[in-house]
Amino acid sequence: MEVVLHLPVVPNVELVAAKAVETLGSALGMDRSRVEAASVAIVEACLNAMEHGGGRMIVRVTSEGEPDRHQLVIEVEDHGEGFDPSSAPQNSPSRVIGSASKRGWGLTLIRELMDDVQIRSQPGRTLVRMCKYVESAP
Amino acid sequence: MNDEPIMLSTDVLSDDVGLIAAAGYINNEGGQAIADAATDLMGRGCDTLLIDLDGTRIINSIGVSILLEIMEKLLEEKGRLAFCNLTPTIAKTFEIMGLVQYATIYPDREAARVDLVGHAAS
Repeated sequence: MEVVLHLPVVPNVELVAAKAVETLGSALGMDRSRVEAASVAIVEACLNAMEHGGGRMIVRVTSEGEPDRHQLVIEVEDHGEGFDPSSAPQNSPSRVIGSASKRGWGLTLIRELMDDVQIRSQPGRTLVRMCKYVESAP
Repeated sequence: MNDEPIMLSTDVLSDDVGLIAAAGYINNEGGQAIADAATDLMGRGCDTLLIDLDGTRIINSIGVSILLEIMEKLLEEKGRLAFCNLTPTIAKTFEIMGLVQYATIYPDREAARVDLVGHAAS
């Protein structure tokens, strides 16, 4: 199973991607809370791509892995200026509470909500690849 | 997944406790709608706000950032913010973003009402 979406930058288009995650995750037998965690993660990845990606984005949702250890794999690709993933700070409440700026949570949430996250970025192409196992680790 | 525009209702549970029930996508628009409802209730004397998210299953960090602003405004007024009916993912998101450090989380509205107002619904 694979879903590939070419998404324009329009309001709430991230929910189209979240719907794909919900549909494939449910088909793979993921429980609701794991599907919802992956849904929030893809929403955040899409918001980042829309804000920094400079135009349309490509979303791929598929499944990979051994039969007894399937995972939902999500990729969000944009074509913006790119960034250095190693310099992207982990956000924290202590930085935000009391501060005028409350933004900058996208990558932190993605890393916390997904089981594995890889980011490759260069000028013109950023790919965020994130995985969520169908079942939690035994 | 509920991706309809957010549906809000408000109520005053006691002299100083207000309720906001929100169902739908909490993005920038949904968060702002909740903030507007919170400002209205605070203007009516409610310094404790309970936000019931039964029916909300998807959020984003921009919407939650607005909830952080509501929390800060309440704390400035020596008030209190509480939530109930959170999905596990929303609860985890609130934990990551720091809301649970300053807000109280209840499993459901009745538990919140008993604690905040002091008696069960009649």
